[in-house]
Amino acid sequence: MVRNLRELYKYRALLWSLTLRELKARYRGSVLGFLWTFLNPTLLMVTYALVFGVFMKSPIKNYVFFLFVGLLPWTFFSNSVGMGASAISDRRDLLTKVRFPPQVLPATVILTNLCNYLLSMPLMFALGIYFGMFPSWHIVAYPIILAIQILFTLALVYFVSAVNVAFRDLQHILTNILTFWFFVTPVLYSSATIPARFREAMMLVNPMAAVMTSYQAVFYDHHLPAAGSLALVGVESVVLLWLASLVFNHRREDFAELV
Amino acid sequence: MDAIVIENVTKHFRKSTIQRHTTFKTELIRWIRRQRRRPPPQNFIQSLNGVTLRIPQGTTIGFIGRNGAGKSTLLKIITGIYTPTSGKVEVNGRISALLDLGAGFHPDFSGRENILINGIILGMSRAEIRARMQTIIDFSELGDFIDEPVRTYSSGMYMRLAFSVATHVDPNILLIDEILAVGDEHFSRKSRAKMNEFKKTGKTIVLVTHDLSTVETWCDQAAWIDGGRIRSVGVPRDVVAQYRDAVELGEAAVANLTPDNPAVGATPTSPSGNGQAHFALHLKHVQLLDQVGREAPTLDPNHSLDVAIEFEASEALVDVGFTIRIYHSHGMQVFGTNSFIESVELPTPLPRAGVVRFTIERLGLPAGTYLMDVAAHNRAGVDYDSNRGVCSFKVSSKMQGTGVARPTHRWSVVSDSSDNVARNLE
Repeated sequence: MVRNLRELYKYRALLWSLTLRELKARYRGSVLGFLWTFLNPTLLMVTYALVFGVFMKSPIKNYVFFLFVGLLPWTFFSNSVGMGASAISDRRDLLTKVRFPPQVLPATVILTNLCNYLLSMPLMFALGIYFGMFPSWHIVAYPIILAIQILFTLALVYFVSAVNVAFRDLQHILTNILTFWFFVTPVLYSSATIPARFREAMMLVNPMAAVMTSYQAVFYDHHLPAAGSLALVGVESVVLLWLASLVFNHRREDFAELV
Repeated sequence: MDAIVIENVTKHFRKSTIQRHTTFKTELIRWIRRQRRRPPPQNFIQSLNGVTLRIPQGTTIGFIGRNGAGKSTLLKIITGIYTPTSGKVEVNGRISALLDLGAGFHPDFSGRENILINGIILGMSRAEIRARMQTIIDFSELGDFIDEPVRTYSSGMYMRLAFSVATHVDPNILLIDEILAVGDEHFSRKSRAKMNEFKKTGKTIVLVTHDLSTVETWCDQAAWIDGGRIRSVGVPRDVVAQYRDAVELGEAAVANLTPDNPAVGATPTSPSGNGQAHFALHLKHVQLLDQVGREAPTLDPNHSLDVAIEFEASEALVDVGFTIRIYHSHGMQVFGTNSFIESVELPTPLPRAGVVRFTIERLGLPAGTYLMDVAAHNRAGVDYDSNRGVCSFKVSSKMQGTGVARPTHRWSVVSDSSDNVARNLE
């Protein structure tokens, strides 16, 4: 794991260039270009505001803002995992033609989505201000939550990208798992609505639940996240990353032959 | 010091790599039965079979061999793309591989942006590329196109750009797979010059190619890879000659099998079998004779060659001429002529049986193996009979030389100071 991270650091120029390319390539050729990075979440927000603010009134106050606090990081997570599955298997051009460090590819997917996510954050703040919910000092906990989420995502993406090379069904299975995962994670609803006897278990088995609840605590409820469950996710993530690195390193020599 | 040390390297490919997609069902059954994932050993394709090779620093070595012999696999193992199944590879120096041009080029990006990305993929830093950007653009000769998206490029332009980036990476060891012929004549010459520059600056170059004359003229060493093993390694001329002989032997074996086996060819063809118009004239025998009239499979470039073509005609023919063509064993035509274009007056009508003699006063060919075509045809070019590639001869000479011809020549030195008389060094 440490070796993997060190190599990522070593190839940071490559990582950054590929990420920049992905970011630029996404909207290359479209008239509005990079503006779509902001436009896409805005339009999504309008849709949600219409459905949940006008049609289905939610008991949660300022529901659209609440929704966005969770939806943006969730999109970051689910896009990373969804796209990450084929991060290795789709890049035959790089893996079989040049000597290329494969661990850069999953990291590129995450970094690209992270950039998109961070760029949409001002939108969330603007929305909060519109609803009169100004950010409080509790925001200091945000980088920690984000770091833990990145660690967890990295672990998962390393694992799925390595397995998907030999077992291509995984990317299709994942699409379905992610949909299910979205609904069992408190994004659309508050974790308070989960029956109390399941809540603890949920936080334990679903790391994303703890992460999402923490975001909501910081931005919506204005208090510090529950340190215990967050720390647990942190430990889980590190263990997972260690395991995923083992799998990845075990498989990486086969990538060039299998893609 | 050795730039590359390859020790007893083998490489197997799992056959399931080729069939690839294991279904969920088989995976599940395998998992339930707790079988080992490793398939039985006969499911392996053995690509390399114990290769040992040392490439000293500054050497240019050419890998030759048939398709599928394992040349490219070996190159990929040296590069580090594949890991050897067993054995060891040691590489001393920064390596750059041109296995395929334009790895990671994005079609929607301009040439300039792609130079940056491709350069970083090939191991340069951003600053290094920025510093070399103009040189690379100039070398590619793309001009204003450099700011257009790569998808609008012609394939030649694409290759030029990719080659330019790849050769400006400044490696110590360069691995090239069959891409020296990039672009048009002009650029191809330019890329050759660039490679020569690499060579002169003492870089180690490993080249995989089917262009044997390049290996002969340009490499310091050649390695012939066959069936995943090194068949022979050493002076390019010798290795290439061995390889050519083997290819020829293989071809001769194929050629001999087909006509001799009546069971195979169900449709009857003429004995020399080339779909002639009519069989009014038959070439009975072609003999190659040396200067003293002996039938000679091996000739001296400074002596004469007589081709004696024995023919037999069923009628008295008026419209008839003969063609002779000489080919080098790797396919290039060295010389060809016929009696019509040389306005040779053959007796009309041609006798019903006889011998046509074609005399070359001085052979003037460099050492090598040659094939000869002989044909009899009318003025319109329709064959009566032909004898293609069946006659072969060798030219051997104590003098070495390259190219396709060995003209009569001599060397001399003329001194500038007037008191010395010019001296011939014949």
